[in-house]
Amino acid sequence: MSAALPFSALIAEHREFGLVIAVVLGFCFGFVLERAGFGRADKLAAQFFLRDMTVFKVMFSAIITAMLGTLIAAGVGLVDLAALAQSVVSATYIWPMLVGGLLLGMGFILSGYCPGTSLVAAASGNIDGMVTFGGVIVGSLIYGEVFPLLADFHVAGSKGTFLLYDWLGMPPIVLGAIVTFIALAMFIGAERVEQIFAREGAAPAESAQRVRRSRRFVFVGLSGVALVSLVTLALPNRPEAAAPPADLPTISAEQLARRVVDRPWTVRVFDLRSRDACGKQRVPQSRCVPLTELARLGVPYLAPEPDLVVVDAGDLKSAPAELLRYRGRVLRLAGGFAAWQAYALAKPPALGATASADQREAYRFRAALHAALTGAPPAPPPPAAAGFAPKPKKKKGGGCS
Amino acid sequence: MDRSKRFWNPYVAGVALGLVLLSTFLIMGNGLGASGAANRIGIKALAAVAPLHVAGNAHMKGYLQGNPLDNWFVFELLGVLLGGAVAAYTAGRLKRQVIRGAGVRVVTRLSFAVGGGVVMGMAARMARGCTSGQALTGGAMLSVGSWVFMLAVFAGGYGLAYFVRRQWS
Repeated sequence: MSAALPFSALIAEHREFGLVIAVVLGFCFGFVLERAGFGRADKLAAQFFLRDMTVFKVMFSAIITAMLGTLIAAGVGLVDLAALAQSVVSATYIWPMLVGGLLLGMGFILSGYCPGTSLVAAASGNIDGMVTFGGVIVGSLIYGEVFPLLADFHVAGSKGTFLLYDWLGMPPIVLGAIVTFIALAMFIGAERVEQIFAREGAAPAESAQRVRRSRRFVFVGLSGVALVSLVTLALPNRPEAAAPPADLPTISAEQLARRVVDRPWTVRVFDLRSRDACGKQRVPQSRCVPLTELARLGVPYLAPEPDLVVVDAGDLKSAPAELLRYRGRVLRLAGGFAAWQAYALAKPPALGATASADQREAYRFRAALHAALTGAPPAPPPPAAAGFAPKPKKKKGGGCS
Repeated sequence: MDRSKRFWNPYVAGVALGLVLLSTFLIMGNGLGASGAANRIGIKALAAVAPLHVAGNAHMKGYLQGNPLDNWFVFELLGVLLGGAVAAYTAGRLKRQVIRGAGVRVVTRLSFAVGGGVVMGMAARMARGCTSGQALTGGAMLSVGSWVFMLAVFAGGYGLAYFVRRQWS
């Protein structure tokens, strides 16, 4: 992966240092939440009575800031957006997320906190925050206890990593700009709502001017960033632009068979045909990955050492973009599965007496493979040539030996 | 009022929060969260009391491979506690108290707090995250599930708010 961020070394090799960073980033998170007023239940709950829209304002300014930052970083090639989404975002399960959200909203108005802010409240000495967080711990254990009853619902509406821009089919940065402008429009609406519902005397008149100034500063800043970030669309080094739909280099059925049998650790075989076809017959060691499921696999995350060989029904027009994001070499079985069938699943044609040593060896390999895969009785050995001692041959594909 | 004792302007606080979140993405390839760590703490505690029970539970046993507390989110939670305490102390807000609406008894307020916490704990496991892990983190990454969750949180909150208005008036 060419992208410089995130620092994978920090995650994998320097784990302890990574955990120190976790504490530091957590510190900043807690500090900002407290200073935003999120350690106080009354301020948070006021959101739901429209008296104080702070929760909404803070949350959405945070979301668009982080969103624009990420999209720009991806746009200039600093980070691979798809890879980052895979590692940061949990997979989408529509129904449990919808019901979970409703329940969490109810818990929010009952307790006056969400799990994160209850922690900040606890840290600032609020006993209601402490007991809320205790409740969160107990609640997650209860969910574990009743989980067997909810196991089906828990995975209902599974969509894998499912991103809004993929769903809507637009460039991420364009959606990012749209979301930014919608949020800014809603901020202006939120200001109006506050004016209508605020209680008398609640607004501190002394700082009104200063509040207005910083508000204008943030609005102009965010919309400026959103507009400027659209420029990244024109940059040539975006990951999407770096992956032209090219024809894949090919590997012959014999070469593939040799590698699967003799050096299975050097290949990773994906069968892109339908699950039915793949389930019936496939190259030994291959994994059934129908084209539609390729995106769920996290191809950029697979270890790049083995070559990735794809087996299709012979109808693959161009390489799927997802495949090209594999960090190692990608090959395509020449002729698709039909070629494999003709090579490994059909009886090898008999050799003449004049065959060379190489031909004999190839024949022996192919006959053994055919016998192992089909269960047919082994083909007759090639006519013996003088001075050639037949070596015992490995029969089955598979296993690191 | 002393400048440091006021709450930050919400938009400024939001941008600051967004920058923390962005740093977390870019440096660690991770998001921010709160309920995940709560779950791990709970499982660790339960495993100390009833190890066989936890090992036999489909949802929990996965966490016992290695120490459930040896995790990014647990250390991040430690940081949140420290950061929250320092921010509250330096603003003169570090004080033992029960925040409640006028005329609401302490016992009532704490019962609602525990009850709400329990509901949120279950909800967060169901949704694979809470307002931090789903709404903020997944929201910024434009995940469909996270936006569904976020809108549902507001819907649930506004839906129930009317019925508990006495708590907060």
